[in-house]
Amino acid sequence: MSIFTFRKQVCYRIFSLFGNVLISRHRLIPKLQCSSAAPQNCVLWNHGTSDFSRISGFPFSTLRLFSTQVAVEPSTSDGLTVEGILGNRWTILDESESDWRSHAASIAQSIHLIKKRLQWKKLMMRLELLSVELNKADLWDDPAHAGKINREHGSIMSKIKEIMAFERELLEHIDMIKLAREENDTELESESLSALLTMRRNSKEKELEALLSGENDSCSCYIEVQAGAGGTESMDWAAMVMQMYKMWAQRRGFKVTVMEEMPGEIAGIKRATIKLDGEYAFGYAKAEVGVHRLVRISPFDSNKRRHTSFAAVAVIPITGDASTHVQISESDLRIERFRSGGAGGQSVNTTDSAVRIVHIPTGITATCQNERSQHQNKASAMAVLQSRLNQLEMARQAQINAQHTQSLSDITWGNQIRSYVLHPYQMVKDLRTNYEVSDPNSVLEGDLDSFILNYLSISLDKDGDES
Amino acid sequence: MRLSIGRSYLVAPHCVKSSRLISSSSSKPQIPLFLRPPNHSIKLTDLHKWYNWAKTLNSSVGSSFVDTDNGPDSTLLNRELKWLVQDAVEDKSVSSELGNEIEQNPKLGLRNVRLKVGIEELYRLWKQRIDERRPFQYIVGCEHWRDLILSVEEGVLIPRPETEALVDLVGKVVLDNEALREGFWVDLGTGSGAIAIGICRILEGGARVIATDLSSIALAVAGYNVQRYGLQDLIELRQGSWYKPLQDVRGKLSGIISNPPYIPSDNIFGLQAEVGKHEPIVALDGGSNGMDDLIHLCDEAAVMLKPGGFFAFETNGEDQCKLLVNYMENNHKGRFCNLKIVSDFVGIPRFTTGFLKEAI
Ligand SMILES: C[S@@+](CC[C@H](N)C(=O)[O-])C[C@H]1O[C@@H](n2cnc3c(N)ncnc32)[C@H](O)[C@@H]1O
Repeated sequence: MSIFTFRKQVCYRIFSLFGNVLISRHRLIPKLQCSSAAPQNCVLWNHGTSDFSRISGFPFSTLRLFSTQVAVEPSTSDGLTVEGILGNRWTILDESESDWRSHAASIAQSIHLIKKRLQWKKLMMRLELLSVELNKADLWDDPAHAGKINREHGSIMSKIKEIMAFERELLEHIDMIKLAREENDTELESESLSALLTMRRNSKEKELEALLSGENDSCSCYIEVQAGAGGTESMDWAAMVMQMYKMWAQRRGFKVTVMEEMPGEIAGIKRATIKLDGEYAFGYAKAEVGVHRLVRISPFDSNKRRHTSFAAVAVIPITGDASTHVQISESDLRIERFRSGGAGGQSVNTTDSAVRIVHIPTGITATCQNERSQHQNKASAMAVLQSRLNQLEMARQAQINAQHTQSLSDITWGNQIRSYVLHPYQMVKDLRTNYEVSDPNSVLEGDLDSFILNYLSISLDKDGDES
Repeated sequence: MRLSIGRSYLVAPHCVKSSRLISSSSSKPQIPLFLRPPNHSIKLTDLHKWYNWAKTLNSSVGSSFVDTDNGPDSTLLNRELKWLVQDAVEDKSVSSELGNEIEQNPKLGLRNVRLKVGIEELYRLWKQRIDERRPFQYIVGCEHWRDLILSVEEGVLIPRPETEALVDLVGKVVLDNEALREGFWVDLGTGSGAIAIGICRILEGGARVIATDLSSIALAVAGYNVQRYGLQDLIELRQGSWYKPLQDVRGKLSGIISNPPYIPSDNIFGLQAEVGKHEPIVALDGGSNGMDDLIHLCDEAAVMLKPGGFFAFETNGEDQCKLLVNYMENNHKGRFCNLKIVSDFVGIPRFTTGFLKEAI
């Protein structure tokens, strides 16, 4: 094959893609209630859509591609697909080896893993479903619902497109290498080879990104820790767990705010809530939901006996999603504040400005005492309450991530996820992944990433969603 | 020394009112601790030592202050101590490290931390907090009030959480009555400027706010706070007794808000030490039944407000609220409408509000 014919083929591919778009545009027009518009008009009209969509709220400034179109499997000019590459079982050598087959095999493996993590098949099915929804004539009768569908469709589409483009890029480089060999073009060959290497490196990053592709993963979140039974022992342990998260969060660059803290009588905390602000705070932290168990020689026991303590961790995403945003009406709230007892007002000067809010219909409460003004404590407590109610709503709507957003009250103390042993030997072991390290101190100082990433990859990489 | 200004009025606050202006020395307001430059450096272990010393002082208090005059207990003092550290250090993460066992990890303690006061001063300040019951807010030089951080110092009343609601009341009124968003609003006896700044932000620049006070220290501090929130073009400060400096806006006011002194003179003696021993008596003492200033404010409101104008006054509680409403209904028959008593956050009737009737 000459370079000319090859370029033609590439061009053809691009053209056919365009062709698809054009066809779908024709197909779309009637549904958008402009059946009389001739295609030329539509092109013109399309230029004006951004204005129009602003006014009417119609989402047709971007053309919708449907799942049927993206489902076409890309291949090289001689029919090699990513699946095909995987099937060939080419040996994967070290990055430094300039072997295109090894690079290609490694990239193909990453693509395979990424698709698995994104739950590719489910994603495609969801896209199909959303596309059908989007084409319903009465869609925009409910603008809030329509907006939500439209956004989800957009976000899935962009994920899919990104991976498809990555796949196509791989196959095109392979085409190029084969071509360069035929033509004895060493320059083109080494260019393509180094392009493959770059892809191979990028694909590792994409693998990690794919771990955090859940619906609320990019949100900020609250982490709540509650001491188990066992009094001071457990309260002290709960405080250690909280400290571990604060340090972990600081390392990760999340902003940490203490929302609420109920200190134990002698040491530690009965319960506390912190807020983590930052991208993907929820995506990471959700891996920590469950019961954490500690075994140690108790510092509170004069007989130096071994004790086992428990602390429960809950994680709540702070979503901006309007559909799970519960409208709270003032009349449903009981707001309790510090009561000085005396006449109040000018006669009293206290810095105690704790606020507790009770949502009467659900009995859900939120407390804040760490801000220095009553007004701010109320605002913070309201924010916590709002998230707790949203979370309840989210669970009700049974969304994908519901299992990670259970509240402390839902956590059964049997749901142990990790055990920290300080005595008689030293070990931290995750009971879900069996991942373990022998240095509890570093973990308690916030070195949690390996536990989290391990859990996330195992829970997403397990079989069941073959792409 | 610190108390001399407040003390001089202790005997008979209402007789000396006219001569008050003598004290109008050009006082320069103090800068709150958290805004000062971090000019001091100290080893973390030494800070830790001070912190533990202060905590021991706190626990020695137990509930003794609560028992004598409803003052703070050790838990609250510990919380204040944490806040003092937060305000005094440059690097906020230090305050969480102090809680950890530095003894266990001595290397940690060798680190230098930058402070906004010297360590000797920290010892002195916390001794004052415990031994003299000096209010925490004077020690750090600020009070967090609503979403504001207001500078305060001896000679100026520390704004109370109850008073936060006055701003919300104004917010509600202008929501129902957009016309009131414009014109002149006054905060009489502004103290630190809390109410004036709060309502100015609620009114979103639609109105001009005039804040008055008799005390020059109060005005200096209010001026500093107004500047800090960049509201100097919207809030004007005037010195003088109640409506006296407002004659040019007579009958033109959209709103009058005030938290005047309302504690009955006889009660001053038994006040919580932080209040009675340290806050300016001129800001607290409202005469024999505590209503001297409130009555004066009501009388004049009838001529100072424009028709339809709004007023809200803070009071000592249910009795004063009721007396005030009765007084207005009887002595100013038919002038005011919509008279209401509004409770504070713990349910004590705290505010009297109403409108001047629209002209017919
Ligand atoms: C209870 S304080 C209120 C301060 C501030 N508005 C607040 O709520 O925090 C009363 C204020 O009224 C001022 N004051 C007392 N007598 C006054 C008078 N005759 N004229 C104007 N202001 C007066 C005091 O200086 C003090 O600042």
